[in-house]
Amino acid sequence: MMATQSPVTPEQFKKLEEQLGTLMRVTTTRYPIDQTPKEVIWTLNKAKLWRYVPALPAEKRHRVPLIFSFALMNRPSILDLRPGNSFVEYMLAHGYDLYLLDWGVPGYEDRHFNMDEYVGDLMPRAVRKMKSVAGSEEFSMLGWCIGAILATAYAALYPDSGLRNLLLLTAPLDFTNREANGFTRWVNEKFFDVDRVVETFGLIPPEMIQYGAKALKPVENYIGNYLRLWDNLDNPEVVESWHAMNTWVNDNIPMTGGFFKQLIQELFRENKLMKGTLKVRGERVDVGRIRANLLNVIAMADHITPPCESESIMNRVSSEDKELFRLQGGHIGIMTGSSARKITWPHIENWLRQRSD
Amino acid sequence: MSEKQNNSNPFDPFEMWRGMRDSALDVWAKAMVQVVNTDAYAMATGKSVELYLTAIAPFREVYEKMVTQALQQSNMPTRSDVVSLAERLTNIERRLDDLDAKLDESELRAGRAKAKGEGR
Repeated sequence: MMATQSPVTPEQFKKLEEQLGTLMRVTTTRYPIDQTPKEVIWTLNKAKLWRYVPALPAEKRHRVPLIFSFALMNRPSILDLRPGNSFVEYMLAHGYDLYLLDWGVPGYEDRHFNMDEYVGDLMPRAVRKMKSVAGSEEFSMLGWCIGAILATAYAALYPDSGLRNLLLLTAPLDFTNREANGFTRWVNEKFFDVDRVVETFGLIPPEMIQYGAKALKPVENYIGNYLRLWDNLDNPEVVESWHAMNTWVNDNIPMTGGFFKQLIQELFRENKLMKGTLKVRGERVDVGRIRANLLNVIAMADHITPPCESESIMNRVSSEDKELFRLQGGHIGIMTGSSARKITWPHIENWLRQRSD
Repeated sequence: MSEKQNNSNPFDPFEMWRGMRDSALDVWAKAMVQVVNTDAYAMATGKSVELYLTAIAPFREVYEKMVTQALQQSNMPTRSDVVSLAERLTNIERRLDDLDAKLDESELRAGRAKAKGEGR
């Protein structure tokens, strides 16, 4: 009798079983992102101002505090993804007094919120509290994606607020070229009835916004992303990183109908911010009034905010000290990918260090 | 497309297959990026959204009316009651924040006056 040899060895079976276990774990559980200790120092409605527990004693910290303004439809935990790969942790270790303006999850009662509330009410109040707690009249503000639109509008409306340094990351500001970006093309008035969407939903479902972001690169997001995980199931570093990012990507929040409409109608379609016709609480937002030192970080392979949407602000502001920093990478990747710790974060920290004492 | 993060063996048939797969996906990915960036795709997406909104509109209206009536008949607060309450609470929060700002300002002024007095 001939013994038949199995084409798969027990070791290979065991490995496969382990890999399937890993696959199940990372696709069905949440990674504990957002771990750096912080405390709430101010709240208003759903918004919260967090202060990260400083990593260095007061005498070793920079004098000027830094506040983060993140996008409205994602959680700001991307700034603090996982220990050892966290921008928050990195900046704390370099002696910054860090604050996070967390917009929170809007309720139906907030459905009309637009820049009047976010920039005209919540931001000035949160900044006032931060300055009071930090004991500093001056501060720096970092805005990322839609958070950068809000930060830009704030800097233009309140140039005398003590804003010393403005840092913009992948900021979608100029929509002169409406064909540069999939979003602006999709929401063209010929194809998309924004009033009807806002009237129906009140709050724009996160699934709808997430679909929009993923559909810009459908193969990468719906197939390539999972193949990358499958190919690296025996590499714990890649698996942990994927797990953390997947947790963040799938944890979206609704956007208020008021802001969604303003974004599409007044910014994407009418380009009011760059034309200087955008109004917040009746006051014109003139980016020419921005005097803060400006660092504008652009991702050259950004499919969500193409570089042309971020670059032109450089010629419009009155800031004398300004720098445009172009990076290879994508919208999120420049702050979380393998080059973030080597290139992006050190550059931001180095720029800010020279302007924070 | 998908990047294996460790050293790979060029003689491994699975590696060859993976390379072919990734090349094919790259081509597909680039083609799909072109497709989604067309007016035709934008029009199709717009139509789908419109169709969806048209389909759900009557059901939403009926559902909202039914829930509101049921809540009113049970002496329970409706959504508009809760919204109104939330707005009132937020207004109170704003007033409290204004008071907090004044307190902070007073503390700051008192601290400055004290420091000035000690300096003399």
